Amino acid sequence: MGNTMTVAPAQGDGSALLCVKGLRMGYGPVEVLKGMDIEMKPGERVVLIGPSGSGKSTLLRVMMGLEQIQHGQITFGGDPYITADKGKTKIDIGVRKKIGMVFQHYTLFPHLSVLGNLILAPCKVAGESRSSASERARALLERLGLSHRVDAYPAQLSGGQKQRVAIARALMLDPKLMLFDEVTSALDPELVAEVEQVILQLAAQNMPMMIVTHDMWFAKNIASRVIFAAEGRIIEDGPPEQVLGNPREERTREFLERVFHIKT
Amino acid sequence: MNYTFDLGAVTRNFDVLLQGLSLTLQLTIAANIVGLILGFLLALMLVSRFALVRGPATAFVEFFRCTPALIQIVWFFYCVPMLFNVFIGSITMAVLALGLNLAAFNAEAYRAAIQAVPREHEDAGIALGLSPLQRVLYIILPSAIRASVPVLLTNGIGILQQSALVSIVAVPDLMYEAKTLATETYRPIETFTIVALMYFAISLPVSQLVGWLERRRPA
Ligand SMILES: Nc1ncnc2c1ncn2[C@@H]1O[C@H](COP(=O)(O)OP(=O)(O)OP(=O)(O)O)[C@@H](O)[C@H]1O
Ligand SMILES: [Mg+2]
Repeated sequence: MGNTMTVAPAQGDGSALLCVKGLRMGYGPVEVLKGMDIEMKPGERVVLIGPSGSGKSTLLRVMMGLEQIQHGQITFGGDPYITADKGKTKIDIGVRKKIGMVFQHYTLFPHLSVLGNLILAPCKVAGESRSSASERARALLERLGLSHRVDAYPAQLSGGQKQRVAIARALMLDPKLMLFDEVTSALDPELVAEVEQVILQLAAQNMPMMIVTHDMWFAKNIASRVIFAAEGRIIEDGPPEQVLGNPREERTREFLERVFHIKT
Repeated sequence: MNYTFDLGAVTRNFDVLLQGLSLTLQLTIAANIVGLILGFLLALMLVSRFALVRGPATAFVEFFRCTPALIQIVWFFYCVPMLFNVFIGSITMAVLALGLNLAAFNAEAYRAAIQAVPREHEDAGIALGLSPLQRVLYIILPSAIRASVPVLLTNGIGILQQSALVSIVAVPDLMYEAKTLATETYRPIETFTIVALMYFAISLPVSQLVGWLERRRPA
C-alpha cells in the first residue's frame, strides 16, 4: 500500500520478452498507431489480426526499427531499444538485431544465390567466416527441404521456396523473436502450406513470434494468443479460443464475420 | 540502272580500311571505359540527397543528352583549344568527346537501375542488420549494376556508330578511311556498302546479346 511507483512500472516486469508502451506513430499528420501497449512473454506466439489499414504492418515495421515513432518505448528482454525522444527515434541496433522479420513481398536479393542471401549478413554483420556460415546455411536449408536449391538464384525459385529461403535467411542470425507480416498472402494457394509448415516447425521449437495473417486455419493452429487491432488501437487481446471463438468485443465479432465468415 | 558493282578497288585497299577499323574499335573501347566509370560516378551524384551534388551532375547529363553529338565533337575539337588554350592529341580528344557523351547516357542507365531497386530490399537489409554503407555496397549497387547491363551494352554499341562522327575532324577512323578511299577510287557505293557491313557485323552480336540478356531477366 502507498507506493504508487509499483502501480505503473515504466517497463514490463522482468519476465516480459517484448514490451510496447504507449506507442504512437504517424506518417506525417496522419496518426496510424494511436497508443499501443503490448507485453509479450517468452515462448508466446502472437497472431495479429485486423482490417486492412489498421496498422498491423506498421506495428511490425516499428518493432523492426524501420519507422520513426512519435511517442512511446519498446523494450526487448528488458532493454529499451526503440525510444521516442524529442521527436527523434532512437534505435539500439545491438538489441534490435535479436529480432528477425520476414516480409509479405519477396525480398531475396536477386543478384545473390540462395546461399549468398543466407550468408551475407552473418559474414558482413556478425563477422562469421564464409565457410562456417556456409556450413550452417546448408544445414538449415537441409532442414527446410531446400538443399537442392542452395545454388539457385531467387528468380529460379517458386514463391513458396522464396519465402522459405527468406525465413532461413532471418534464422541465420539466430533471432530470439520472429516477426512474420502476411508472408503467404502473395503466394498461389497451393504454395501456402509449405511456408506455413516451416513456421509451425519453428513454433514447435518454441520460437517466440508475432504473426500477421489472414489465414484462419493457420492463426488457430499457431497462436498462443491473438490480438485484434483496428484503426491503430488494440481492441481485443486474449487466447485464441476467446478472440477467435468467442470474442468479447462487438468489433472483433463483426470483423470475424465479415472477413472469415465465422459466426460466433 | 546498269551500274556494275566492282569490289576490286575496295579489296585492293582493304588494309587501309582495317587500319581505320582498328582505330574505330580502339576509340569505342576507350570511350566505353570512360563512359562506364564516369557514368557510374555521375549516377552516384545524381541519386545524392544533396542538391549541391546532384546539380552539377544533372547539368552535365542534360548538356550531353540535349545537344547533337556532332556538335559536341566539333565543339571539342575547335572551341576547347581556343577557349581554354589546351591542346591535346586528336585521338585523346575523340576519346574524351565520345566518352563524356556516353557517360551522360550511362549515368542515366545506372541511375534508373539504382532507383528501381525495390524499397523492400532496403528494408530487408536493415532487418538483417546491414549498415547503410553495407546496404549500398552489397545490395543496391550490385543489383542495380546487373539490371543496367543491357542498357549499358546498348549505349556502348551506340558509341561505335557515333564514333564515325569523328571522321569530320580528320581522325583517321574507319569512316574517315572510307571517305578517303571512296574519293580516290570513285567507288563510293562499294566502299560505303562494305564499311556499313563492317559496322553491322560488329554491332549485331552485341545487340543479340542484349536481347538474350533481356529475355533471360526475371519479370
Ligand atoms: N509509407 C506510408 N506513408 C503513408 N501512409 C502509410 C504508409 N504506410 C502505410 N500507411 C498508412 O498507414 C495505415 C496503416 O497501414 P498498414 O500497412 O500498417 O496496415 P495493415 O494493417 O498492415 O493493412 P493490410 O492488412 O492491408 O496489410 C494505412 O492507412 C496506410 O494507408
Ligand atoms: Mg499489412
